[in-house]
Amino acid sequence: MRTVTFIEAITEAMKEEMERDERVYVIGEDIGIYGGVFKATRGLQSLFGPMRVIDSPLSENLIVGSSVGAAAMGLRPVPEIQFSDFITPGMDQIIQQAAKLRYRSGGSFSVPLVIRVCCGGEVGGGLYHSQINEAWFVHCPGLVVIAPAFPYDAKGLLKAAIRDENPCIYFEHKKLYRSIKQEIPDTDFTVPLGKAEIKRKGKDVTIVAYMLMVHKSLEAAEKLAKEGIECEVIDMRTLLPIDKETILESVKKTGRAIIVQEAPKTGGVAGELSAIITEEAFEYLDAPIKRVTAPDTPPIPFSPPMEHFWLPNADKIIKAVKETMAY
Amino acid sequence: MPVNTKIASKAKEKLSAPFSAEEGKKLYYYLLKTRTVDEANRKFFRQGKLLGTYFSAVGQEATTVVPTFLSRPTDAIGPSHREIGCSITRGIPLKNMLAHLMAKRTGMDKGKCHPCHYGGSEYRIITPASTMAAQTVVVTGCALAFKIRGEDNIGLGFFGEGATAQAGWHEAMNFAGVQKLPIVYICQNNLWAESVPARLQAAITDYSDRAKAYGFPGITIDGNDVVQVYVTVKEAIARARCGEGPTMVECKTYRWYGHSEIDPADYRPKDELEGWKKKDPIPRFEKYLMDQVMLTPADKTKMVADIEKELEEAFEFADKSPLPAPEEALEDVYAPGTFEDWVKGWLK
Repeated sequence: MRTVTFIEAITEAMKEEMERDERVYVIGEDIGIYGGVFKATRGLQSLFGPMRVIDSPLSENLIVGSSVGAAAMGLRPVPEIQFSDFITPGMDQIIQQAAKLRYRSGGSFSVPLVIRVCCGGEVGGGLYHSQINEAWFVHCPGLVVIAPAFPYDAKGLLKAAIRDENPCIYFEHKKLYRSIKQEIPDTDFTVPLGKAEIKRKGKDVTIVAYMLMVHKSLEAAEKLAKEGIECEVIDMRTLLPIDKETILESVKKTGRAIIVQEAPKTGGVAGELSAIITEEAFEYLDAPIKRVTAPDTPPIPFSPPMEHFWLPNADKIIKAVKETMAY
Repeated sequence: MPVNTKIASKAKEKLSAPFSAEEGKKLYYYLLKTRTVDEANRKFFRQGKLLGTYFSAVGQEATTVVPTFLSRPTDAIGPSHREIGCSITRGIPLKNMLAHLMAKRTGMDKGKCHPCHYGGSEYRIITPASTMAAQTVVVTGCALAFKIRGEDNIGLGFFGEGATAQAGWHEAMNFAGVQKLPIVYICQNNLWAESVPARLQAAITDYSDRAKAYGFPGITIDGNDVVQVYVTVKEAIARARCGEGPTMVECKTYRWYGHSEIDPADYRPKDELEGWKKKDPIPRFEKYLMDQVMLTPADKTKMVADIEKELEEAFEFADKSPLPAPEEALEDVYAPGTFEDWVKGWLK
């Protein structure tokens, strides 16, 4: 066992998969010579050369679209989108090509690629370097949407995604890159796609979250435990397909559910999870489901007071839990 | 090959043919087959046998059949929706193509996609999406895969002149130039992007001029001259295969009918169509081959009979094939053995 940061876990996963399988290559902006703006691909080009660690032009449509073509020819591309804010020029290739090529070819083509996307706020990145837009992709059947919160899961899920036959989009929260460390095994391991995990056991209320919000939820749970409220914290890890069972089983036990999402409220993952609980566990609920989310404004305002006001945090989660408990 | 070479539009009847008699005959067969099937499909559409709509490529067959004829089965093709010639020449069985047009289970897409979106991994033809130029980006990625692997396969990207206005098209061409990818881009300039004339799409006359900006050769040719398409594309493929990078070949051509069968194309001047019909690539090539004594009337008679027999059998197969069961809509979303319960969970 050894301790690694979130970003080290990601780098290790790519390096090990590239060593294991020569079909794996990475492509993106500033990822080769520079090693990535956050250094996720640091050292890879000197190990694997410029044809497996490709510095692309400023062309997100090309970064994704060329990866679809290479995947269709049997390679396993891992394209990087530098900031989720810059993913929009690549949307056509993600939605119309990556997600649909298998379906529209009657299962003839496989598109085994993993689009790594750096996302998220609380770093003062402002309107175009902080977005969190995972819900756009959750509404896109054919994709697997991955959103880890811990280094172990980040490494294991990235490895599993690279080995998977489906097109995956893998969100990396930039706030977690160097703020979260964890012990991980030295041996090869993967984490199954499509499975949530309970990160803290509790009997009073279920808190469902992902990425940075898992840590905010655990912080809230720690404080609430001192007041005698035991929260069960579920880390979704994969946002599509949704692991309904883990959520429903927990809610059936606690009878109360809080869903935390960093993104704006309307049309998000939290609404979807809330609908699932209402449809499939309504009679177990002792209180209405509560969503703790950002407001419905463009994400995320730049100035610190506004960013702080905007983002969900432990205090907002604590308030929601108390309201739910008091219902 | 210099950048932006313009080859004059003159058929080379007087010169010796750049291919053997056997090859010339085979090429003629694919052209004739593409024309025959395409016209038959229009008839089937009118008879109510096909679903949705139908995108005819009559008039521009040389631009798809010839490059595909010159390719290897392991070369990747990124087509658009008017590339019936690629599919016929690469060998997608007519029966499956017909079934595809009838939205039957036995179509390549099992009834899921959209008419004339022919493809399949076993043919290395990327089943197209309807977003224009999208496959240009994807097939550029196929060429990238060949380069990464050190294979001598190439990509063939097909698009209309209208698609060159797309941002993704530019991104693909730019990257192909930077990486010197093994690919040939075939631009079918048929003067109309659905109803919009070329003059409203670009401020240039020859779209091959665009290639200059990407650092590789662009050539404009008479896309209705089979021999000229053959000679030009053959050289471009050879360049791509030996690592000299991409070429863009702009083929001036014309689609005889509307964008699709529900489009009367009344936005076009009548005499324009009549002028282009006189430049029909197939009789021109037929005359060339007969002048060269590479094709006899008896050869043609046999080809017509063979094609009609195959078409008849294909139609019968497709017509008798079942439509998909409703629940088949839930298949092929994810890879076999993954997330099937998730997709089928919707039924509960």
